[in-house]
Amino acid sequence: MRSRRATAIAGVLAFSAALAVVAAAYATPNRAAAPSAQAGSGAALVKCGKTRTIGFMAPVTGPAASIGIQQVHWAQYYVSTYNKTHKTKLKLQTEDTQLGAPTGTAEALKGAQALAGSPNVLGVVGPAGSNEIVGVTKSLKDGGLAWVSGSSTRTSLTTDGTRTGYMFRTVPPDAIQGPTVANFILKKLKYTRVYIIDDQETYSTGLADTVQQVLKTAGSTVGRDGVSQQQSDFSSLIAKIPRDTQIVYIPWQLPPKGQAFGNQMKSAGKGSIKLMGSDGLFDSSFASVGSNVYDSNFPLNPKSKIITGFKKLHGGDGEYFGAPTYAATQVVANAIDRSCKSGSTTRAKVRAAIRSTKIPASQSLIGVAIRYNRNGDLSTLHKFGLYKSNGKVFVPIAG
Amino acid sequence: MNWGLFFDLTVSGLTLGSLYALIALGYSMVYGILKLLNFAHGDVYMVGAFLGWYALHALGGPLNPTFTGAVVLLLMFIVAMLGCGVLGVAIERFAYRPLRNAPRIAPLISALGVSIFLQNSALLIFGAAFRDYNTFALIGVKTYSIGQLFFSVPQLLTVVTAIGLMIALTVFVARSRLGKAMRSTSFDREAASMMGIDVDRVISVTFFIGSALAGAAGVMFALVFGQIYHFMGFIAGLKGFTAAVLGGIGSIPGAMVGGLIVGLAESYATGYLPQGSTFQNLYVFALLILVILIRPSGLFGRAAISKV
Repeated sequence: MRSRRATAIAGVLAFSAALAVVAAAYATPNRAAAPSAQAGSGAALVKCGKTRTIGFMAPVTGPAASIGIQQVHWAQYYVSTYNKTHKTKLKLQTEDTQLGAPTGTAEALKGAQALAGSPNVLGVVGPAGSNEIVGVTKSLKDGGLAWVSGSSTRTSLTTDGTRTGYMFRTVPPDAIQGPTVANFILKKLKYTRVYIIDDQETYSTGLADTVQQVLKTAGSTVGRDGVSQQQSDFSSLIAKIPRDTQIVYIPWQLPPKGQAFGNQMKSAGKGSIKLMGSDGLFDSSFASVGSNVYDSNFPLNPKSKIITGFKKLHGGDGEYFGAPTYAATQVVANAIDRSCKSGSTTRAKVRAAIRSTKIPASQSLIGVAIRYNRNGDLSTLHKFGLYKSNGKVFVPIAG
Repeated sequence: MNWGLFFDLTVSGLTLGSLYALIALGYSMVYGILKLLNFAHGDVYMVGAFLGWYALHALGGPLNPTFTGAVVLLLMFIVAMLGCGVLGVAIERFAYRPLRNAPRIAPLISALGVSIFLQNSALLIFGAAFRDYNTFALIGVKTYSIGQLFFSVPQLLTVVTAIGLMIALTVFVARSRLGKAMRSTSFDREAASMMGIDVDRVISVTFFIGSALAGAAGVMFALVFGQIYHFMGFIAGLKGFTAAVLGGIGSIPGAMVGGLIVGLAESYATGYLPQGSTFQNLYVFALLILVILIRPSGLFGRAAISKV
């Protein structure tokens, strides 16, 4: 009887210790406890004050940190530039989404709940990933918050009707990126033997489907496969790629995975096959695979003084993946300024102000004026940029 | 028959299988002696990969190494294996030994706790960003071919090193005094203790060796596939466990063969089965279920006889 009790106590203690380890591991002391969200309309009045808070969601750490940090730099660049030239000040409340982490979009959801529950947050910049947006839509909408993404491109995010009036973006959707890539492969590179591999995420499969459809319609031979974002060993998958393939298209979100894939292609003796990524892989780590690598990315105005100023502060590196996040921060800040003219505002007013954004081309680093259609897509932007690696970084090329 | 594809998949499968075999050996050795499933073993493999990375960068990094590539590699293996060996001994001493006489559920839960602890400690210490070994800068990109058979230097290194380690372990267990003590302890711990064998020491050595092999596997994985991150041990540990069970948990030859079978199965599934790359894990674990249904003790295991 005594030994049974001792055994039971030992078992309970061991289990409690395991639970304590889990709790300690997942505790995020710097994040406000997820409070209940505000009423969905966002009608609660907020005093604007001298300092206005913008919620910011990006993969600061995690597998996509190399592109997330670019977004962080560009958002901070906008805020610091704004604060130098305005009497009112901006600050970012940053939530790390850890895009691509094994926990899926759990971190993004926690961040969205934290922002929705922070009464001073008037609008949100981000999140980065299309799959994250699917995950956080309800939380942000319930909080009445609008969000402007500087990188999520899945077409259906703005066309399926579930985010109208809440979601906006400063990049064109995949409905533009897909045909741009397919036409580049067909007409510029003149390749007809293509292999497409998606990473099974929302962003990737949509883009892959679009490119595959255009190529097949044109009569190209197209192989298709998928691989998990958590996969690091691509050797068996690479073995399936025929040696006479001319280009492999990998519209993935995680640059380290693109780099690993490219290096493993070389190991398998298939290094001469061209690679093409998408905006999610627009990073020097993917470019470092070699000069047989192409990519598509958001269009930017290369002569913009904003880009020149940013490069001066960042050792000459434009960190172009993050540049549309500058525009997204600009949109949210601009909307807050306009809706705060009376000294107080509501999230609903900020949403309406974002919807009616009119930033002229001269103030925009994406090369065109920033105006939105009713879906939340830019009504002024209709192309994607194309790039080729020089062995170290991507440089723009003609499409 | 596309022989090129078959050879590529076979090379890939043998490379992966060698890694799984090294991980499975640790599971089998520990189970053989303690009847404990050490679920933290996959995370020891992850720690080995990180130790190798830090050793590489302490020696100048892949672009500017202090010594030749071969010497740097050897030192990376030594650091990873020694570090993981010590970690394994520490895990046994503090997480399992106090629960040796407790019901089996207690050390199992403790093992799960250690696994989570190691994953999150790695996250805290190393961060969530992926690290890259940059193998190409260290030992080159050269790929060899014999007809339609292609293989790279890291793949060859992995298979040869894994086979060498497995042979060394087999000889050690079969011929050395300590190996004999390990076999005695796995057969009957009480009797071994009565015969004067220091059972605690034998168990510690077993954990050291098993963890060292996992550390070596971690370095080899990173050399072949490039990337390491804090969660990489989870699936690898599960597959190593699958290999150990498939081969017969507690059997050293079984762990080796089981590892190779799992690696090849994964590779061929990716290459030949519908949605192979998407569902490769599904196919591997389905194979495990199939083998257990047909032969519950595994390929090399023996049905346990219990005296009533």
